[in-house]
Amino acid sequence: MNAILPELILAAAALTLLLLEAFRPGRKIPVYFLIVLGLAGAAWALGRSVDACVWDFLALDASTRYLKALALVAVALVSVYSATFPGFQREGFPWGTYFGLLLLSTVGLFLMMSAKDLLLLLVAIELVSVTSFVLTGIVREDRRSSEAAIKYFLVGAFSAGLMIYGFSILYGLLGTTRIDALLAPTVDLPALPLTGALFFVLAGFGFKLALAPFHMWAPDVYEGAPTPVTAYLSVGPKAAAFGLLLHVLPNHGALRLTPLLAAISALTMTVGNLAALRQTNVKRLLAYSSVAQMGYVLMGFTAAGNNGARAVLIYLSGYVFMNLGAFASVLAMNQASQTESIDGFKGLAQRSMPLALTTMFFMLSLTGIPPFVGFIGKFSLFSAVLQSTGLVWLAVVAAVNSVISFAYYFSIVRAMFFETSDRPAPLSFSPALAGCLALTGVVTVAVGIFPNTFLLLVQKVLP
Amino acid sequence: MSLTLITFLPLIGSAVILLLPKEKKGLIRAFATAFAGAAFLVSIHAYLNYNGGNAEMQLVERHAWIPVFDIHYYLGVDGLSMPLVLLTTLLSLISVIASYGIENRVKEYFFWFLMLETGMMGVFVSLDIFLFYVFWELTLVPMYFLIGVWGGPKKEYAAVKFFLYTLAGSVFMLLGILALYFSSEPRTFDLLQLAQQSSKFMGVRFIWIFLALYVGFAVKVPAFPFHTWLPLAHVEAPTAVSVILAGVLLKMGTYGLLRVSFAILPEATRWFMPILIVIAFINIVYGAFCAMNQRDIKRMVAYSSVNHMGYCLLGMAAITGSNASAGLSGAVLQMVNHGIITGSLFLLVGVIYDQAHTRNIDDFGGLGAKLPVYTGIMTVQVMASLGLPGLAGFVSEFLCFLGGFGQRASLLWVSLSVIGIVVTAAFFLKLIKDVFLGPFNAKWEGHLKDMSARELVTVVPLVVLTIFLGVYPTGLIQLMDATLTNLIRHVTGG
Repeated sequence: MNAILPELILAAAALTLLLLEAFRPGRKIPVYFLIVLGLAGAAWALGRSVDACVWDFLALDASTRYLKALALVAVALVSVYSATFPGFQREGFPWGTYFGLLLLSTVGLFLMMSAKDLLLLLVAIELVSVTSFVLTGIVREDRRSSEAAIKYFLVGAFSAGLMIYGFSILYGLLGTTRIDALLAPTVDLPALPLTGALFFVLAGFGFKLALAPFHMWAPDVYEGAPTPVTAYLSVGPKAAAFGLLLHVLPNHGALRLTPLLAAISALTMTVGNLAALRQTNVKRLLAYSSVAQMGYVLMGFTAAGNNGARAVLIYLSGYVFMNLGAFASVLAMNQASQTESIDGFKGLAQRSMPLALTTMFFMLSLTGIPPFVGFIGKFSLFSAVLQSTGLVWLAVVAAVNSVISFAYYFSIVRAMFFETSDRPAPLSFSPALAGCLALTGVVTVAVGIFPNTFLLLVQKVLP
Repeated sequence: MSLTLITFLPLIGSAVILLLPKEKKGLIRAFATAFAGAAFLVSIHAYLNYNGGNAEMQLVERHAWIPVFDIHYYLGVDGLSMPLVLLTTLLSLISVIASYGIENRVKEYFFWFLMLETGMMGVFVSLDIFLFYVFWELTLVPMYFLIGVWGGPKKEYAAVKFFLYTLAGSVFMLLGILALYFSSEPRTFDLLQLAQQSSKFMGVRFIWIFLALYVGFAVKVPAFPFHTWLPLAHVEAPTAVSVILAGVLLKMGTYGLLRVSFAILPEATRWFMPILIVIAFINIVYGAFCAMNQRDIKRMVAYSSVNHMGYCLLGMAAITGSNASAGLSGAVLQMVNHGIITGSLFLLVGVIYDQAHTRNIDDFGGLGAKLPVYTGIMTVQVMASLGLPGLAGFVSEFLCFLGGFGQRASLLWVSLSVIGIVVTAAFFLKLIKDVFLGPFNAKWEGHLKDMSARELVTVVPLVVLTIFLGVYPTGLIQLMDATLTNLIRHVTGG
C-alpha cells in the first residue's frame, strides 16, 4: 500500500480539483491550495515509501523513486508556469480542470514508471496520453491549440493501437502479461514473432517519445499547445517512458535490439537537429531540440550494463532542469514581448542581463558545453557508449550532432546579445517565474561545476 | 595556491564587474586592469618561486573534484607551461589597457575578457585532462562574444565560424580523451599518469585517438587545412582581442599537442611526424604567400600568423629527428615570440586604424616623416617578425629550422619551407615601403597623430621584450630546457 500512496494522494487531489471545478468554477485560491497539497503529499509519501512489489502489478525501487521525485519537481515547475501564463489569465479559465488533469497525468507518469504488467502499462500510458490531449486543447478559443490537440489525439490513438498489437503478440508468445517474462535471461522464443512484437511496441513508444521516424507530430503539437503544456510534454512523458525502458531494456542484447536502438538513436538526433536549424518559432525549435535530446538519451540504452542506464538517468535529470529552464526563459520573454518568434529574444541582453545570461546557460547546457549539467550528461553518455564494443560510430554521430545543435541554440544567444531590441524598455515578468528561472539556472550551473553529490546519488539508486 | 590565484583572479574580476553599474565605464576599466594586473603580479611571483633547473611539475595543487569519475582539480607548471603562463598574464594585462578605447557595452566587454583570461590560464596549468577540457571550452564563449559584439563589419560570421571550427575540433578531442581514459590501466584522467602509462598505448587504436586529439588542437593552432577561420576572426576582432587570439589562443593548440598528444601517445607521435612536417611546410609557405597577397595590413599580419605557427609546428616535428632539442626549444620559444611580436603588431595596426579608419596599405605612404615614433616601433617589430637577427623572431625561427633539418627523411619539405622566410621578408619589407616611405598621402595631412602615452604603455614592453629575447634568449631556453629534454627522451624512447 505504501508503494502506491503517492499515486493515491495525487489521484485524490486530482479528483477533488475536478469536482471543485464542477461546483465552484473559476476559483484560483483553492486550486492552488489543492495542487500544493497534492504535490507535497505525494513527495512526502514518496519519501517514506519502501521498495516493494504490489499485487505483481507495480514495483517500486530506488531508481523509480528517483525518477518519480524528478517528475514531481517537473510538475511543480510546470504548475508555476501555468499559474503565471498570460494565455490562461482570463475570465472562465477552467483552473480546476486544468490542474486536475495535470495531476491525473502525473499519476499516469508514476504508474508508467512502476508498471510490471503490460495491461497496467497500457492503462498508464493512455492515462498520460488522454490527459495530454485535453491539456493541449485546453484553450478552446485558440484554433492552433485545438488543431494540435486533434493531431495529437490521432497520432496518439494510432500509436496506442500499434502498441496494443505488439502487446497482444507478446502475450501470445509469453503466455503472460508480466513484463518480467521479457527479462528472463534465457529468452528462448521464436525470433521472427518476437522481433515483430517488439517492433510494434517500439514503434508505439517511438510515437509517444517522438523518436525519428515517428516524430512528425511533435513540432505541430508543441507549437500549438499552450507553452506550459508544451513544457510539460517535453519532459514529463519522456522521463516516464525512459523510466519504463530503464526496466525493460537492459535485456536488449538478448532480445537482439541493440543495432535497432543505435540506429533509432542516431537517426533521431540527426533528424531533430537538422530540422531545428530552420526554425524561427522558439517552441518549434525547442520541439525539434527535444527530439534530438531524446536521441542522445537513447544512446545510453544502447550501451551495455548499468553504465548506460546511469548515463540515461544523469542526462535525463539534467535535461529536465535545462529544458524546463529554457521554457521558463521562453515564458519570461513571452510575458514581455507577446511573441513566440526568436525575434522576441532580440536585445534581451540590454533589457535584462540576468535573464539573458540564464537563458544562455540553458542553451550552452543543451549544446553540451562545460561547465553545465548538460555536459556532465553528455560526458556520461559518451563514456557509456565508448565502453561498449562496436558503438564508436554512434559516439561520433552524437559528437557531430552537438556541433550542429550549436547553430540553432545559439541563434537565440545571438538574438539576445548581438541584436538590438525595438523595445528598449526593461522587461518585467512575474516573480514566481523568476524563482523558477533561478532554481533551474542554479541547478544547471551548480550541478555542472560540482556534480559529485548528484553522481553519487545516481550511483546509489542504480548500483 | 598561486596558480589558483592566477587562474581565478580574472574570473573574480569578471564577477565583480558584473555587479558594477554599466554607466561607470571608468570604474569598470579600473577594476578590469586591477584584476588583470593582480594576476600578472601573482604570475611573476610564481615565476620567482619556480626552479628552472627542475623538470618536475612545480607549484602543484591537487584536490578531489569529481571523485565518482576520478577527476581532480590538479594544477601545476613546468618548463613548458611557465613561459606561456607569463605570456598570458602579460598579454592579458596589456590587452585590457589597450581596450580602454572601447566605448560600447564596456561592462560586458570586460566581463567576457576576464573570463577569457581564466579559460586560457586554466588550459596552461591543468594537469587533469578533464579539467583541461573544461578550461579549453571555457575560452570558446567569451571569444565568440568578443568577436561577435565588438568586431568589424563581418563580425557575426567570423564569430560563428570561429565557434563552429573550435567546437567541432573539441568534441572529437573529448571523444579522444574518453577513449584514452578507457584505455588506461588503472583508469585515470591525470595527464602525468597517462604519460607514465604511454608505453602501453600501442597500435592502430591509438593512432585514431591521436588523430581525434589532433583535430582539436590543429583547429586552434591553426594547422592547414583547419586554418580558414583565423584570418577572418583576426580581421573582424577588435584590436585587443586579436592580440589575445594571436598571442595566446593559438598557443593553446601547440601546447595541447606537446602536453597531451606528444607526451601520452609517443608511438602515434613518431608515426605522425613525417605528416606534421608536410603540414608545417604548407602552413609556412601557403601562409606566407597568402599574406603577400593582402592589401589589408591586419589580414597580412593574420596570415603571417599561419606562417609563423608553421615554424612552430616544424620545430615540434623535429622531436624525432637528430636535432630534437633545438627544434623543440625553438618551437616553444616561437610560441612566446610570436605572441609578443604579433601581439604588438596587432596593437600597432590598431593604433593607425583608430585614427584613419582604414587598414589598406594603398591608403598610406610616407608616414615615416610624420609619425617617427610609430614608424620606428613598427619597423622594429616587423623586422622581428620577418626574422632579423638580433630580434626575438630570428632565434626561434633559426632553432625551428635547425631542428627541422635534423629530420633526414623529410629534408625536401624542410628545405622548401625556407621559401617561406624569403616570402615573409618580401611582404613585410614591402609593407614598410608602402606605408612609411614614399610620398605622403595628402589626405591625412593634420589627421594623424603619433602614438599616445597609453598606446606606448601597451606596446613598449613588448618591444623591449622582443629586443631582450633577441639578444639574450638563453634565460628563457634554460627555463624550459629540463622539461623539454625529458619530453624528447619520453617520445623517442631514448
